[in-house]
Amino acid sequence: MTTRRLSAFLDALAAGRRPRPFQADPEDVEMLRVAIALRAARPGDSVPDENFVAELHQQLVDDLNPSEQTNIRPLKVHRGRVALVSVAAGLALVGGTFAVAETTNKSTAQQSATAVPQGQALRTASFQSPTGQIVGQIVLYHGHPSWVYMNVDLPHSNGPVKCELHLANGEVVAAGTVQLHDGSGEFSQSIHMDAGRARGATLYDPSGAVVASAIFI
Amino acid sequence: MFLAPKPPLTRVVDPSSASGEPDVTHLRVVDTDSYADWESVYRDNVERLYRLMYARVGNRADAEDLTSEVFRTALGPLRLASSKGEVRSYLLTTGQTVLASHWRRTLGAPVTTIDPESDMNSLAEPSGTEEPSDAPQRARKILAALPDRYRRILELRFLEACSIKEAAQAMEVSVSNAKVLQHRALRMAAKAGLEVEQ
Repeated sequence: MTTRRLSAFLDALAAGRRPRPFQADPEDVEMLRVAIALRAARPGDSVPDENFVAELHQQLVDDLNPSEQTNIRPLKVHRGRVALVSVAAGLALVGGTFAVAETTNKSTAQQSATAVPQGQALRTASFQSPTGQIVGQIVLYHGHPSWVYMNVDLPHSNGPVKCELHLANGEVVAAGTVQLHDGSGEFSQSIHMDAGRARGATLYDPSGAVVASAIFI
Repeated sequence: MFLAPKPPLTRVVDPSSASGEPDVTHLRVVDTDSYADWESVYRDNVERLYRLMYARVGNRADAEDLTSEVFRTALGPLRLASSKGEVRSYLLTTGQTVLASHWRRTLGAPVTTIDPESDMNSLAEPSGTEEPSDAPQRARKILAALPDRYRRILELRFLEACSIKEAAQAMEVSVSNAKVLQHRALRMAAKAGLEVEQ
């Protein structure tokens, strides 16, 4: 048990501060779940701050209407978004690497992924199992050609897992098959479609059962 | 994946007919339950989504960041032709992924989750209620399952925002003893909480 870090997390939670990350074990998680449930019942903080609502609105105006950006008000940049931009930059590098290989299929180390801002060439999503576990990531690169990359981590699974992409118009496109070795596998391939039209992806095992799905956001 | 909505079809009579009898009939798609623009989506859902995130993470800073992330990722690809229910479902599904990523980054495990189906009421309920609908009730259930001293330490810490030192003074125990009490109380409450949810 990570008692000291758990205590620090609880102290921050009780005081209304942002808690520091740590690697929680299952017993920590159960206790933290209770602490959060109790903290959420305290009156007051569950109402959003007016300044936050107004600032986020302005950020969305800037995001969605870049031509109307005034450059007068500095954007409030959170640590999480700095990390997001860093990851997106890393993924762009990965996207560039795709172009040198037609198709690869091998075991993998876990990759991190997150959403990239709209309008860029990369789109990412996390695969979630029906029980809510994150079991992999998928990245679409929109270019000439377009590419799909995915990694999947399904413990105790082996063999092929088929991936289908769901397009905005309701069409379904086969994106390829990931071969799992000791539960892990990754896959990349060029695809002849507009990657920007994809809304989601689903993974199926050989019996046709859904093992995970992802939504591009 | 979000399927296209099925809006009602309205019979429209061509007004140019001099006899008053309809000689041309069109079918026009009318959707009476959709948002006019992204700002309407934002105004209608920001407070509810924040409340939901706050209930899932228990602190304002993370709740604000996660709410921002949901809107900034969801609004761009959003199809405004979708019904309000579908838009809320889309926001919740985005929130589900955003929250899962948050816990993976911070604690390495999904401490809390969003279920787009069961949490739909959180976005559909009227805005302006003071608290998330089930938070006080759930807290009462958890606390009710504990012995007096365990209940008191958790009330002091998480409902009354006392530091561990203040809680120790209020209970007339040492700081070390208060920490032990808190730890045992949370462990027992965790078991009680699981039983409440089953």
